[in-house]
Amino acid sequence: MKKEKTKSAPILVQMFIYAAILFTAQIISDLMPKTFPVPTPVIGLVLLYVLLTFHVIKVEWVDSFGSALISLIGFMFVPSGISLAGNLKIMKAQGLQLIIVVIASTIILLVVTAYTTKFFSWVIEKITNNQLTVIDHKKVGGC
Amino acid sequence: MKYITNPLFGVFLSLIVFLIGQWLFKKSKGFFLFQPLFVAMVLGIAVLIVLAKYFNVTTATIYTKAYKPGGDIIFWFITPATIAFAVPLYKRNDVVKKNWLVILLGLVFGTLISMALITLVAKAVGLDAVGIKSMLSQSATTAVAMPLTNAIGGNASVTAMACILNAVVIYALGKQLVKWFNLNSDPLGTGLGLGAAGHTIGSAFALELGSVQGATAAVAVVATALVDNLLVPVFAHLVGL
Repeated sequence: MKKEKTKSAPILVQMFIYAAILFTAQIISDLMPKTFPVPTPVIGLVLLYVLLTFHVIKVEWVDSFGSALISLIGFMFVPSGISLAGNLKIMKAQGLQLIIVVIASTIILLVVTAYTTKFFSWVIEKITNNQLTVIDHKKVGGC
Repeated sequence: MKYITNPLFGVFLSLIVFLIGQWLFKKSKGFFLFQPLFVAMVLGIAVLIVLAKYFNVTTATIYTKAYKPGGDIIFWFITPATIAFAVPLYKRNDVVKKNWLVILLGLVFGTLISMALITLVAKAVGLDAVGIKSMLSQSATTAVAMPLTNAIGGNASVTAMACILNAVVIYALGKQLVKWFNLNSDPLGTGLGLGAAGHTIGSAFALELGSVQGATAAVAVVATALVDNLLVPVFAHLVGL
């Protein structure tokens, strides 16, 4: 972590990088087969991550604009929320059941994923610890 | 009518209701029902219903004619914002490299167990087969979930609604849920859970909890898109839906 290098690129340059990635991601997304759709934002995320990892793009070229975007995400979802106004018919028919299931599902997804991951972390830690104690006592934690 | 069909109306309405939400949230010292997004959604829909009554058209018409042009402008920014999660992910590359196997196993089995539980809950409340099918791909982002639901014979607009509500629930209850279920003891799992349950909003919230949570939530958003693509059709087939 070098402090000198944290000078961020001008905002328009950052915007340009995001726009370029967005455009490329859009093209790749269109090329994906219909049976296996991968949306543009997901491809864009992977693309930017790969470019950062291989140091094609420096993190300070995309950091401050990215943080600004992320900080506004709550607001960006307002139109999605309000879009339910276009679907009030479904809500009238099965609304209560659907809402119950969706709230339950959200909690299930959060808790189950968290605890499943915790479980596998524990399992894998056990396995590697056992191996490490067999192979070498001193190398624990060297990564 | 002329003034509200201008895209400015949608942008304006979104800003006002969200700002009211932020103000209420601050005034109530963080009461969970006053989460800005939730307030904005309820108020915004209420305004559209009133306008529909006033102009004597359906709410759906007012939504498409008046709100959507402006709303779409704001909505568009979700795409670059999602891409921006690559940055917090890259910053914690160490976590991802070290734990990729745990992350993969956690997501695959987490998704499978979740789908089974969701099916049970949906059956218990008496949702029909189409409704249940529409609930399965919720952990993926809307753009993946909708075509998936179509493919297995569900109702894609119900799925879209579910994905939106996921985000609203996480946004409103995220803090409480993390506390109630004592999730913060394992940042890796918390991040993945938030990414799977709350998508982009979940990731933004995870980032507030810490850099590890933020990075793994971003991984979850990407990976669930792929995992769901593979698992949802298989699961629907196995359960005989």
